[in-house]
Amino acid sequence: MNRSSRLAIFHYWVAFATFLVAVLLGAWQMLMRSPLPAPLDDSAAYYASVTLHGTAMAYVVTTFFTMGFGYAVAATSLGRPIRGMTAAWIGYAICLVGTLMAVAAILSGRASVLYTFYPPLMASGWYYGGAFLLIAGSMIWVVLMILNLTDWKRDNPGRPVPLPMFALTATAMLWAWAASGVLLELGGILLPRAFGWSDLIDAALGRTLFSVTLHAIVYFWLMPAYIAFYTLVPQAAGGRLYSDTMGRLTFIMFLVFSLPVGMHHLFMDPEHGSGFKFLQSSLTFLVALPTLLTVFSICASLEIAGRVRGGRGLFGWIRALPWEEPMVLAVGLSLVMLGLGGFGGLINMSYAMNSMIHNTSWVTAHFHLIFGGAVVIMYFAIAYDMWPRITGRPLVSKRSARLQLWLWFWGMLITTVPWHIAGLMGQPRRVATFDYTDPLIAPMAPLVIISVIGGLILLSSAILLIVILVRSHFGERTAGEPMRYALAVNPPVRVPAALNGFGLWNSIVLVLMILAYGYPIGQFFFLKPHSVPAVGMIRPMSAEGRP
Amino acid sequence: MVREQGSFKLDNPWSRIAWGSIAAIFIVSFLIGFVVLGRFQQNGPTLGAWAAFCRAVGLTADRGPAGEPQPPRRTPTRIAWTEDTLRRIASGREQQGAFVALNCTACHGERGVSSSTLIPTLAGMNSAVIYKQLDDYRSGKRPWGVMSAVATALSDQDSADVASYFAHRPGGLSPLAGEGAPEAGRSLRQSDPGIRLVFAGDPGRGIPPCAGCHGPVAQKLGAPALRGQHVEYIERQLAAFAQGTRQNDINEQMRVIAQQLTTSEVHAVAVYYSPGTATNQAKLASSQEGLVGSVSQR
Repeated sequence: MNRSSRLAIFHYWVAFATFLVAVLLGAWQMLMRSPLPAPLDDSAAYYASVTLHGTAMAYVVTTFFTMGFGYAVAATSLGRPIRGMTAAWIGYAICLVGTLMAVAAILSGRASVLYTFYPPLMASGWYYGGAFLLIAGSMIWVVLMILNLTDWKRDNPGRPVPLPMFALTATAMLWAWAASGVLLELGGILLPRAFGWSDLIDAALGRTLFSVTLHAIVYFWLMPAYIAFYTLVPQAAGGRLYSDTMGRLTFIMFLVFSLPVGMHHLFMDPEHGSGFKFLQSSLTFLVALPTLLTVFSICASLEIAGRVRGGRGLFGWIRALPWEEPMVLAVGLSLVMLGLGGFGGLINMSYAMNSMIHNTSWVTAHFHLIFGGAVVIMYFAIAYDMWPRITGRPLVSKRSARLQLWLWFWGMLITTVPWHIAGLMGQPRRVATFDYTDPLIAPMAPLVIISVIGGLILLSSAILLIVILVRSHFGERTAGEPMRYALAVNPPVRVPAALNGFGLWNSIVLVLMILAYGYPIGQFFFLKPHSVPAVGMIRPMSAEGRP
Repeated sequence: MVREQGSFKLDNPWSRIAWGSIAAIFIVSFLIGFVVLGRFQQNGPTLGAWAAFCRAVGLTADRGPAGEPQPPRRTPTRIAWTEDTLRRIASGREQQGAFVALNCTACHGERGVSSSTLIPTLAGMNSAVIYKQLDDYRSGKRPWGVMSAVATALSDQDSADVASYFAHRPGGLSPLAGEGAPEAGRSLRQSDPGIRLVFAGDPGRGIPPCAGCHGPVAQKLGAPALRGQHVEYIERQLAAFAQGTRQNDINEQMRVIAQQLTTSEVHAVAVYYSPGTATNQAKLASSQEGLVGSVSQR
């Protein structure tokens, strides 16, 4: 195992080990909020568990997975070892320490804040400190990705950057922009309050800064899946990528359009005017463009593969695809979930329709379907694809891998479809206890019970995943195949500078961010500075008798 | 990166198309969001362009002072949790508070642990709570003869000092929040009404769990820690809230909750929070009920 591979596998293992624990918690939470008896039914434990599940899935699993994926892809797509290996390991250690700090704070019951950093709900400083380290540690990865790209470009003047590396750098830049919001919130608002340096916090400013991170963080999670769509799937299907340019445009559009849109998470918040909410709502709709572009290119690439394999007629190429390959199966299942979840997302992002589903199970269902479904299933496929290439040991069983993917697909659908319906019926999210004897709530009971069954299927799928990965990791060593990325139908020879770097796009992002967030953030400093006492799991400062 | 310089110039087609389309999208969204949509209201007249713009940025165009409400507003308390209030509470000096506390110990116990079941234990009570209650006694927002007299004799600084003193006395209320391993049965499925109400509330009646503000799950500003308080004192205060003789809860939350609790629920909650374990108290309570029963039979 070379040094880059070792780095990647260490990241992957943290991600997947955390993932298994978080799925277990998720299954218990579903039991807890259902009408069925649950072990250890403690409402407070439910909120702590939601915090742990959310923190693990949203920050730990995704960050470690994407970092590991980044190191593996950077090394293999550029065809040379990663520069800055020591810094990468330091970043790994910082992220790991941050994770352990946050987990300890949650387990001690002092950080049940449901993993979104929305003041005035407050957690212990250990939790925020841990989150800060985790996110700040991942910035080392961001710098390394950009550094490796610029180095390569300097050594290869005039040559187009390989698409995987181009997309990866877009991901790194997207994450740096996205994380700026939560890092400012943590450093400027939450940590000072948690350490007791201030009594009050500007909750409105904190929520607005966090919205900079939400939604873009979602695209940070999504990017490895999209990179796999463009660079691994056509290869696994035995075809070619339909268009290299479309790939570059897609990742550029994600970088530009996923950032100035986060205020659609604050549609119901009173601290902003309707104009900025509408502006960001309409910008949000543009995020659909790269997604539609991707669905088109991937279907086109798959069609090329299907026809090469002898598929005929309007739909015959679909049957001709190698569905026994986990990567191909995963992309099929992923696109189905992306389609269903995407339509739900259109409702969430509409300024008017959002109020119907605000804070209901619909929202939980939406992001589980998109992230937990469409994205995570691609994480599995990426792991199945990369494991043999990183460890030099073959995947123990493609059959088990396919079973695992199918279980995850059905588990996620059985979980989230009833949640969507319960959400439309008005079931609030993030609530531990429902009185199912209440005539208004009783009709939700069967839906919740069905979703529990989905949760158990998901748990069995997660266990199977870990079994497959562990067995493969310790299997017999064979000559591993190197990573190969899909060739485009027309491989790029020369690409315009605008599609080979990010200078233009970052300046557009900067201008858009100033236009979309300049006033909404600036108003708290000049027009309506507004602070409220913090509430939550820490004692009010005065109880500690501080001067 | 040198080659990229060209991409900033507007004669580069990529740059022109990108900036042009972004500008077009922004201008259209801006006009709809700030000029068109802001004007129309569901139940009011269409606004002028300036008022619509103010509304779109989240400001009001009407800058005139608000009129005094008639009849004059009645507030539950004079205290608001502003930065200034919190700073005054935090300025409390424990040492000075010990002298002020000489006024209190006759009833509330020498170190704030009261031996009378109708007088609250103050040791360990959050200083913000003590400070607020003293102000409420002083302003008549919480009418109670003895305490009104005592509080009137105290200055604002005295209140902060004595609050700090009692907040730091050990052996009384336990203000710790969010600690301990999860325990089964702290949910709506619990059959014991005390534990059920404390940890899960009653969503059907809109009653939130007591533990979310009064501990042990979380501790909210202005809500006293209750673990270790006397059963009779808690019962009496809940009755006062229910009957409206006590009205100094800022958001009326305690009045709304207490009005809906039955006598046995009030007792069960109070027993949960009382000194000693709940089981012992339940035994004590049942033996007392037996005693009361035998007395009335006689």
